[in-house]
Amino acid sequence: MILKLLKAERMKLKRSPVWGAFLIMPVIPALLGTVNYMGNIEILQSEWYSLWTQHTLFTCYFFLPIMLGVYCAYIMRIEHNNHNWNKLLTLPVNKASIFVSKLLTASMMILISEVWICVLFIISGKLAGITAALPYRSIMIWCLFGTLGGTVTAAVQLMLSIFIRSFALPVGIAFAGGLSGLVFLAKGFGHIWPYSLMAYGMNSNAPQQIIESGYAAFAVVCVLYIAVFTAAGSAVMSRKDF
Amino acid sequence: MIKLLKSEFRKTRRRYVFITAILITAFGLVWSLHGRYNEIALRFGWMSFLYQLPLTNAIFMPLLSIIVSSRLCDIEHKGMMLKQLAVVTDKGKIYDAKLIYGLGMVVICCLINWFVTIAFGCIIGFYGDVPIRLYLLYLLFTVVPTIAVYIFQHTLSLLFRNQALAFFAGITGTFCGLFSMFLPQLPWLRRLFIWGYYGALQFVGLFGWTKEARYENAYFEVMGFDWLSFGVLIAAAILMYIIGRSLFCRKEV
Repeated sequence: MILKLLKAERMKLKRSPVWGAFLIMPVIPALLGTVNYMGNIEILQSEWYSLWTQHTLFTCYFFLPIMLGVYCAYIMRIEHNNHNWNKLLTLPVNKASIFVSKLLTASMMILISEVWICVLFIISGKLAGITAALPYRSIMIWCLFGTLGGTVTAAVQLMLSIFIRSFALPVGIAFAGGLSGLVFLAKGFGHIWPYSLMAYGMNSNAPQQIIESGYAAFAVVCVLYIAVFTAAGSAVMSRKDF
Repeated sequence: MIKLLKSEFRKTRRRYVFITAILITAFGLVWSLHGRYNEIALRFGWMSFLYQLPLTNAIFMPLLSIIVSSRLCDIEHKGMMLKQLAVVTDKGKIYDAKLIYGLGMVVICCLINWFVTIAFGCIIGFYGDVPIRLYLLYLLFTVVPTIAVYIFQHTLSLLFRNQALAFFAGITGTFCGLFSMFLPQLPWLRRLFIWGYYGALQFVGLFGWTKEARYENAYFEVMGFDWLSFGVLIAAAILMYIIGRSLFCRKEV
């Protein structure tokens, strides 16, 4: 059933502008981050790690949360329009499956973005003339845990977008969430605040330090959050009068 | 036009558009003004605000424009309201009325931002008098880029039913504008995008700051006013208005 729902979600997003945006958006920090790295090469001496912070710092706190907000609002807007909720919720499928399928679609999009960010990162590093060995393992970890943290944000945003019919308001909340994520991360609570988890997973602030702290607790927190928000989102979806 | 503006007001009643705008402004203010104000911060206070605030403006003001314009224009896309409006009045007037109404909100938010910043500086006890001339110029250099960005967002939100498009264009622009401020070695980059003009029109610079001595030998100084960029920005805003209005008038609603 979930596969059929995923296929339906994919069909709804066919030729949607969100795909283009997720491809274009990471190119900007990659270009400008690399230029900034090359301009400050005497201060930024950790090579690949320094380049990674230049690429992802603003992306994680400001732009990816907003993009996720837009993306989740878009997924839910399709249902808010033309009374589509009535059609969707009268299908003989579990309400939780509907939420999960939307969440999986969102997390797939995050994963694609993460992979694209990593590809651009490697190309930029080579063009910038970094001679150190490429930290493949770190890149894979950043990519996967960034996706996991991003999925938590997506779960929150999807739940909000069920409540709020407006397109702009959830995006505003995502923006505020992204900024709050920066504050929580700075205060040392980055591993427990839903909007910090993506930046924490991607190690956008200080790559070497966070790797040492380990990821098991991070993964547990993410999975717990995803479970809680999925249950809450499904319950809201079942009870709300659309 | 007055009737159209009144109808805009009625349409947005209890939709909390202005409250949303105020909340974003308040959030931006908390973000900008929060910090520890020691002796050095109080000494440099007025000038350091003029140096730092364009950066936060480059993030918050475009976001404010994206959200306000999208919320105002989305009302018309729902239920084919544009078709009904276009029957009773000229499409150009609809474009203008919505633009004036939205710009009013955004400019009020800019003014609130400005007043609160100055009031905060006075309350916390920044040294010396408020350099009112510089702060008036700062207000001008905040309001005009915001107006240009708003015109761009307003046009996109009205032209495209799918608001995601306006959001993505706006966010991409904000991203370019913000990053251009971190690349002083490429000054032309700030002048390439309307979102970069918050940085291009920044007129206070920090000199003498080093990682070791920090603010020991540092000082802020007025670098001069880039009136050419200001003129280019105004021309770009007028051009966007003319093109946007004409595109909307030709659009099949």
